[in-house]
Amino acid sequence: MENTFDSDLIYSIFKLAWSRKTPEKSKEAEPIDTEVARASKKNRSTTANSNALTVSCELLRIFVTEAVERAAIIAEAEGNGKIEATHLERILPQLLLDF
Amino acid sequence: MEERECAYEKLEETEEKAELLRNRFRLSVIGIADAEAKKQGLEIAESVVACISDLAFKFTELLANDVWLFAQHAGRKSINMEDVILSAHRNEHLLGLLRSFSHDLKGKEPKAEKKRKRPLKEDDTRVVS
Repeated sequence: MENTFDSDLIYSIFKLAWSRKTPEKSKEAEPIDTEVARASKKNRSTTANSNALTVSCELLRIFVTEAVERAAIIAEAEGNGKIEATHLERILPQLLLDF
Repeated sequence: MEERECAYEKLEETEEKAELLRNRFRLSVIGIADAEAKKQGLEIAESVVACISDLAFKFTELLANDVWLFAQHAGRKSINMEDVILSAHRNEHLLGLLRSFSHDLKGKEPKAEKKRKRPLKEDDTRVVS
């Protein structure tokens, strides 16, 4: 596997999305001390095991490569050497349905 | 009033954080997309990569919510491999790909775990003695 996502990066994006989902809880636990705040965040938030993150990275990698591959097929069919926005537009609906 | 200011500050903070993550995410996407385009023998416009990156980022956020709900439904607080695989349930090919990928991961894991467990046990006995 040459290029893939960093699982730490994906984990922090996950955590950001989860923290957006539970804003009410964060209001309750909002001490002035930042270190305490960090600790309370750790306690309440969901965790993910490393394998789950690796699989998520793989899923996202597949999403990106699939988008490029499908757009490349259209670009080649048009005899274009460069993948343009119009090519992406054409494959986008099916891509979003497939994921 | 102070509460409101606090909330605004927090919102700004999370927005800044999100922006940083989005940029880091975009870097990874550029790497993957460029490599893939090269494999196809084509060039790829920057705007297309930016668009794919935004899509993938939104997809990640959706995925985060999905796996969180799956784990909650199962009564767990931590996300499992199965939760992620389940999120791809609508596409059989994708499901197959992720299954085989997770099997490969599992195949690698036991050896690593055994290596890790032994030194841990030694440490435990040291503490006890």
